[in-house]
Amino acid sequence: MTIHLLLGLVLILFVFAAVRALAPSRTLLAGTVLGIGALALLAVNYQALLSPEFWAGLIGFVAILSALMVVIHPNPMVSILFLIVNLFCIALFYLILRAEFLAVLQIIIYAGAIMVLFVFVVMLLNLKAEEGLRLGGGPQRWGALLLAVVFVLLMFHALHDRSDQPYVEPGAFESGFGSARALGGLLFSRYLVAFEAASLLLIAGMVGAVVVAKRKVG
Amino acid sequence: MDPVIARVLVESAVKIALFFFILLTVVAYMTLVERRVSAWIQDRQGPNRVGPFGLLQPLADGIKFLFKEEVTPPHVYRPVYLLAPMLIFVPALVTFSVIPIGPALELFGQRVRLQIADVDNGVLVILAFASMGVYGIALAGWSSSNKYSLMGALRSSAQLISYELAMGLSIVGVLMAAGSLRLNDIVQHQIEHGWNLIWQLPGFLIFLTAAFAETNRLPFDLPEAETELVAGYHTEYSGMRFSMFYMAEYANMVTASALAVTLYCGGYHVPGLHLLRLPEPAAALVQVLAFGLKVGFFLFLYVWVRWTLPRFRYDQLMNLGWKVLLPVAVLHILWVSFLVLMNWT
Repeated sequence: MTIHLLLGLVLILFVFAAVRALAPSRTLLAGTVLGIGALALLAVNYQALLSPEFWAGLIGFVAILSALMVVIHPNPMVSILFLIVNLFCIALFYLILRAEFLAVLQIIIYAGAIMVLFVFVVMLLNLKAEEGLRLGGGPQRWGALLLAVVFVLLMFHALHDRSDQPYVEPGAFESGFGSARALGGLLFSRYLVAFEAASLLLIAGMVGAVVVAKRKVG
Repeated sequence: MDPVIARVLVESAVKIALFFFILLTVVAYMTLVERRVSAWIQDRQGPNRVGPFGLLQPLADGIKFLFKEEVTPPHVYRPVYLLAPMLIFVPALVTFSVIPIGPALELFGQRVRLQIADVDNGVLVILAFASMGVYGIALAGWSSSNKYSLMGALRSSAQLISYELAMGLSIVGVLMAAGSLRLNDIVQHQIEHGWNLIWQLPGFLIFLTAAFAETNRLPFDLPEAETELVAGYHTEYSGMRFSMFYMAEYANMVTASALAVTLYCGGYHVPGLHLLRLPEPAAALVQVLAFGLKVGFFLFLYVWVRWTLPRFRYDQLMNLGWKVLLPVAVLHILWVSFLVLMNWT
């Protein structure tokens, strides 16, 4: 049931994209019709809305879609925005898997600090939008096609083995799993060396950045 | 539907509607408070014509903004231009959802927390959405295709990320004392051991300064300084979209004040209230009012500082953030570790 609902919604999205590409003047009409269709689909299958599988599937779909848009969209700033959406989806996956501390850290560090760095770079270097998606010449095209086929086969193989595994039950985790206390306990006991080495690496990076910047100005 | 889920949904929906309504009303009346208090400081009358004591002024301003022509300049990058005001408004509202405004009480036979989301990582959620607030400003400035907007956006983003560090470190002091990331635990700790204001005064001052910088309020409001940058990152916005920026700034102020109250001033705690032996609903009401008064005091402080101090120059601002606040915050963490070691807090 859940799978059919998700596939139905995905199909609606593709139909909308096709209509927008082929007949842009009909976008509003298509959007209204398809939106009503999506709502009807959801209303009929409202039981599926309460299942974690549906939400996991939906978040996964949004994650894949935003990742695709990062690569496809010509404007770098919009690519960054789609990447932020993708990172939020990953954080939601962490939440579903009960790693709450990691989910919030993902938003703070990745979506909140690293992506700000990206935004700064795009703004300061004044990166303009590309003219359009231009595919490369003969060998590049065939190579890309071959690698795409290999990728799809790999994905099928990886997912095929897991298709009969049940979704992880929420009760299967011990209490306190994924909390700051649990993660901190691990970081300061079993993984202490890696933790300290990572902090040394960060300090080295900071000092290096300051030295390079100072040399340019001074 | 499972009755537990239904109950949680209904409870959350009611709380969200209530909090949203209260927050927006406070934001609207902050515009009036700003004008009246600034007038009082400058020894003149503020708006007092529209309604008694000018109390209907925000309504008049709202109607004015609705009717203002929304000019969208042709050279802006439209999708991001339209998205930016929302990106700046939403984090301010989301951050308010984890702040407890009162103790848990018995309502309609259920134990209800006066807080929308009692998350185990409440403090981290606040930090996460504070760092999301940078995007609205940066994107507004970038999409406006205007060099003054871009300058304002860049300055503001740099200022925000610099002061986020000092704010985070001062919050670490609070976390060490309370031993938990939940905001309810932090308030509980302050009820039992005295307000963090007393024990961690340097941290409180750092947090307050960083909060002023994070909300782009004077003395840190160079990004939107009228005299230097036309209007900074919101130059090209008009009508309802401009009012979104305006409201977002006040919403950020309210959230920052609520956070300062929760982390350092005991949240909804009224010292000595248990001596009066009031019935539970009355005690809860008094505590919610106390929370409101404390937040109101911090909002007044925001306005007071704005109309008293001159603006910082940009290099002074960055110096303060990196060379003064950051080392002091680190020393403050040492101090709090000492306190925790000696079990004084």
